[in-house]
Amino acid sequence: MTERKDRPDAPAAEADIGGRRGALAALGAAAFVGMAATAEKAAAQAPRESLLRTVISRGRLIVGTGSTNAPWHFEDERGQLTGMDIAMARILASGLFDDPNKVEFVRQDPAQRIPNINTGRVDIVIQFMTINPQRAQLVAFSRPYYAEGVALLTSPRSRFKTYAELRAAGAQARASVLQNAGADALVKDALPDAQVMQLDTQANVIQAMESGRADVAVVDLSTVRWLVRRTPDRYVDAGHSYRSQLYGAAMRQSDPDWLNFVNAVFNVNMFGHVSEAYDAAMKEFFNIDPRPRTPGFPPI
Amino acid sequence: MIDAMIYALPFLWDGFLITLAVSGIVVAASLALGLVFGVILAFGPVWIGLPIRVFADTVRAIPLIVLIFTVYYGLPALQVPLSPFWAAVAALAAFKTGHVIEIVRGAITSIHPGQMEAAKSIGLTFLERLVYVVFPQAVRCFLPPWINSVTDSVKGSALVSLVGVVDLMMAIQQVIGRTYQPMPLYILGAMIYIAVNAALSVASRRLEARFAATVAT
Repeated sequence: MTERKDRPDAPAAEADIGGRRGALAALGAAAFVGMAATAEKAAAQAPRESLLRTVISRGRLIVGTGSTNAPWHFEDERGQLTGMDIAMARILASGLFDDPNKVEFVRQDPAQRIPNINTGRVDIVIQFMTINPQRAQLVAFSRPYYAEGVALLTSPRSRFKTYAELRAAGAQARASVLQNAGADALVKDALPDAQVMQLDTQANVIQAMESGRADVAVVDLSTVRWLVRRTPDRYVDAGHSYRSQLYGAAMRQSDPDWLNFVNAVFNVNMFGHVSEAYDAAMKEFFNIDPRPRTPGFPPI
Repeated sequence: MIDAMIYALPFLWDGFLITLAVSGIVVAASLALGLVFGVILAFGPVWIGLPIRVFADTVRAIPLIVLIFTVYYGLPALQVPLSPFWAAVAALAAFKTGHVIEIVRGAITSIHPGQMEAAKSIGLTFLERLVYVVFPQAVRCFLPPWINSVTDSVKGSALVSLVGVVDLMMAIQQVIGRTYQPMPLYILGAMIYIAVNAALSVASRRLEARFAATVAT
């Protein structure tokens, strides 16, 4: 089975935490809610200790993330996990222990992101998670650490390489996109007349474009940037991006100390005086140079 | 295409070992448990057979993926902290045990009761009757469906990747996640699974032939 790629375009579909498998994971988790309820009630008698204290006394941070989506979370050539999500986890570990390596990664399917938080399997989930109101009812989100968009990927061999060419092609243009409730509308937003081909995984969406079944792949902006930068002979950025959505880390609810701590660390790294690790990750994975931090009025 | 496969091979080795480990543990555990429970179901009293029947019917009625998630999320709630690997193995083994119980029971009941009675009449104990009379005959009925279920276990082991265990399937996904080239990897994965299951098929045919010969002499 393939990991389901996070989609920017269908908040309604995302609310079900990842479709069928998400529902099954929730079913598995729910089967034991009854038994957990007694323990929950007992815990409610005494004030619950913040996860912040638990993590500090444990001496390492447990982060739920994936391993199959570059540039977010993937294994490099040496088999080490790397990516923007991994960088954010290491930034958090540095904030906790002054050591970016005191972090344990729990590899999980995107469908497990919310269940693994709410059953306490992980301290925090950092896995290209779009912040949306439906999810925010179930978990607590950190401040966003990246704004994802949708973009158009073509190949040097495509009949239509640029956004202008694709638009001019009208109904001649064929677009591949990840299967989703809002996938058709997502393509039509950029290419109103294009033929839409919905496929089951992000890798297959790109494969369809490369094998000539589609002229353009409609995928995440970060994926387009990543592929074009790494293999310019194979991929072309058609030069159009749209639909911004926010990625944040997710934690359990009702733990303000933990949430505030994570936000403080993210803020200091994104806007404050320890921005080296964040800047390096933005450069490496998205080829973005964050704006210089200037004293005076705070940027956030 | 071939280049992409050769590039991927070193990254798949650890995952391949995990797939073999999961399959091996599940097959061994389900064989041991299924044999004991299957014999009890065939010969034991109703009050002990009933829970076994309920267990076998329940685990076989639940989709394997739901069983895995239930064990994975349920055991921590019951204060049994199991790693994802052992949670997935436990779920797969329970599922497989349900099947083996049925295969064992079916194989044993295919032997005419007269065999058991005759063995009893010459003074063999219950265990001796099983080992020397019933099992050697029942094994011919047992092997073909059991080998089938073993190859099923190898394929079913790919589900452990759902709870984050990096088996062969997950290792394949990880390489695809880096290279964005799915086709060579899917073909390579299919070839590896076919190789493992073809080896099992050959072994099983030998085993069946051997037991058929033993009984004939």
